[in-house]
Formats: sequence, structure tokens, C-alpha cells
Amino acid sequence: MDLADRIERFRETLEEWLRGLYHGMITHPAYEKIEKEAEDIEDVFLLACFPDAFGIPSPVSYYTAELLPYLETEFEAWERRLWDRDMLIERKGQQYHF
Amino acid sequence: MEPFVFFGGKGGVGKTTVSCAYGLRCAHDGLRTLVVSTDPAHSVTDVFDQPFDDDPTPVEGIDGLEAMQLDPEEEVTRHLDDIRRDLSEQVSAAMVNEINRQLEMAHGTPGAYESALFDRFIEVMRNSEGYDRVVFDTAPSGSTLRLLGLPDLLEGWIDRLMYKRRTSIDLFEKAAIGNHEPRRVMDGDPVLARLQERKEFFRFAGDTLGNDAAFFLVLNPDELSLNETERSIADLEEKDLPVRGLVANKLTPEPDDDENGRGARYLRERVETERAHLETIRETFGPPLVAEIGWRTAEVKGSLLEDVADELDIETAVEPPTHV
Repeated sequence: MDLADRIERFRETLEEWLRGLYHGMITHPAYEKIEKEAEDIEDVFLLACFPDAFGIPSPVSYYTAELLPYLETEFEAWERRLWDRDMLIERKGQQYHF
Repeated sequence: MEPFVFFGGKGGVGKTTVSCAYGLRCAHDGLRTLVVSTDPAHSVTDVFDQPFDDDPTPVEGIDGLEAMQLDPEEEVTRHLDDIRRDLSEQVSAAMVNEINRQLEMAHGTPGAYESALFDRFIEVMRNSEGYDRVVFDTAPSGSTLRLLGLPDLLEGWIDRLMYKRRTSIDLFEKAAIGNHEPRRVMDGDPVLARLQERKEFFRFAGDTLGNDAAFFLVLNPDELSLNETERSIADLEEKDLPVRGLVANKLTPEPDDDENGRGARYLRERVETERAHLETIRETFGPPLVAEIGWRTAEVKGSLLEDVADELDIETAVEPPTHV
């Protein structure tokens, strides 16, 4: 293995590491943040669809009930998130990496 | 006049009688007419002495007249069953219970009956090609008529829901890293499709009610009925569904001048109060008084219904619908 090959290999490893660091430190948290935001908006959507889950009678529940068969995963995740969540600040805090 | 005619008013003022009489009149004038009642007391059955159900059935002995009766309870159950069927096709057994609870809650809310009736009304209007005129005898409360004013509101609501759904799906798509499948995909999202369907339904309802429907209120010449009618007029006007006319029903007959017994004096006094009420209606209420129908001693049916029909001063000529 001559010098040129070794330099080449070193550069490849370095590039992989840098890419990994960039993804892990910069891009991945950003994606996570977007996903959390998407979840939050989905929560708002579900709350708007089924306010009677919280004892608020709503004239549209009758219509939004038609969506329930298609909202299985969303509904389950929604309930889980509601149980987990203590306060809004805590939830928003999760979206930042210090 | 518009192909769809609604009769509303307080409970017990005689909406069904007036609706049936008007239907009869339309049929006599050669229109293919359908009378739709939402009265759970099944009064249309009593008026025509013939059972009716969910499907339009020809009224015996009267050409061109059909009638149907909607039962809100049945409609709610049917809606519930439809969703349950979808549910068993789509959802894993473990989730069915959880969702079922939510479903039952949604159908127990105060507005469920009205929503069910509203749906059926709109459906009847949608499938009304076979008729020149459809007469709706609305449920004995202001809530049905009030609900008819809601399409705009509901459409706006659906719009907001769709916006939220779209935003979250969009974000989920953006959050998918590299070749990962996003958690939700915009294309063919069944929830958005359902919402879109509903939105079109409400749009149709709003257009039809605004352009192809006429509203009449039935009232009795007493204070309670007057007050409620005044509120209903304001309510409907606010929703851009102006009331076309008022029908005063159950007016007390006036005794002959030479009669002076206790009964005659009672009647004369009643007629006096009623006349004052009618005067109030003529002077202070916006919509014109289109009919004054006296008390009948017998149940209004058969030939008596024809008499009542003659007393109605509501035109029957039909303009073709603009939005169906």
C-alpha cells in the first residue's frame, strides 16, 4: 500500500466521520424537531375532531366520528402522548438539544 | 316558488297538518310532490290514515303525492352501524374497543339527532329528481331549522380541519430522513378524502338551502307561539334564510251575533284576544301572514284536509332547482 492509497483511505474515513457528526449533531435533531411539530399539529387536529373526549360537547363530533376508522394509529399515539405529557413547556423543551 | 319548502314552528301548532295540506294542494295542481316528516310521533301516518316509513310511499287515493317519515333515532343508529362496519374493516381488534367508546360518545352528544336529520334532509334533496316539490315538516323544535343555517359554519370548520391535517402530513413527509417512509403520506390520505367529501356535502347543502328552499313558520295566535316565532324569524334571517310567510293555525271560530250563552261569550272573548295577536303579527312581523286556518272540531284528515289546503294562500308553481 503506497502513500497515495493511505491518504485516500484516511480521507474516506474522515469524510464518513464528518458526515456522521454533521448528521448526528445538526440534521438529525432538526428532523426530530419537525416530526415533533408534526405530532403537535396532529394533536390539535384530533382535539378539534374529538373535543368530547374531554367533556366538551361538539356538534361536529357526529361527523368527525366518520374519520375514526382511518385514525387508528393517530388516535392511539394521541392518547399515549396525552398521558405522557405533563406540561407544554416540557414537551417543547424536548425539542431542543442543549 | 322554490322546489323545497320547509314548515317549522313550535311543537303542537299544527306543522304536520299544514305541511300535508300544502303537499295535497301541490299534488292537486299536478305536481309530483313528496312530504317528508321528521316527527317521531308519526303524525303524517295519522293525517293520511296510512303507515309510512323511511322510503317514499304513494299516498292512497291522491295522485302524485308521496310521503315518508324519518326517525332520528334510526338515523343515528344507522350512522353508527356504518362507521362500525368501516371500523371492523380497518382497525385491529385491540383498538376497536378504545375507538368504540369514542364513537358512542360522539353519538350521544346533544346535536347527534339534529345532525342525523340534517344529513337525511340533504340526501332527500339530492335525490329529488323524481319530484317537482318536496315539502319538509321539520321536527318540533327550533333546533332543526337552526341546524339548516349551519352549512357555512360547518364548511369553515372542515376547512380548518383539512388545513391542520395537511400541515401535519406535510411536516411528517419533511421529517422522513433519507429513504425512510414518512409516517403519513399526503397522496390518498383517507382522512383528507373523507373530509373533502363532507365539505362538498355542506357546500351543496348551503347552496341548495340558500337558493332552492322557502321557509314558512306555523304559529298559533297565542303569546308563547308568537314569541317563539319572532325568535325563529330572527334566527333564520341571521342565517340568510328569510322566512317567506307565516301560517296562523287553530283560530277560534266566532259565534253568531244572536248567541249569548256562556260558550258564546267565551268564544267571543277568545276571538278578541286572537284578533289582537293577529294584528300584532301583521304590524310588527316582517314576513306576511299567508294563511289563517280555523279550529276544526274533528281531526284534520280526508276532506277536512282539503278544506285546510284551500285556505292556504301559498303559491304552488315550481321553478326548477338551480343547484341540484
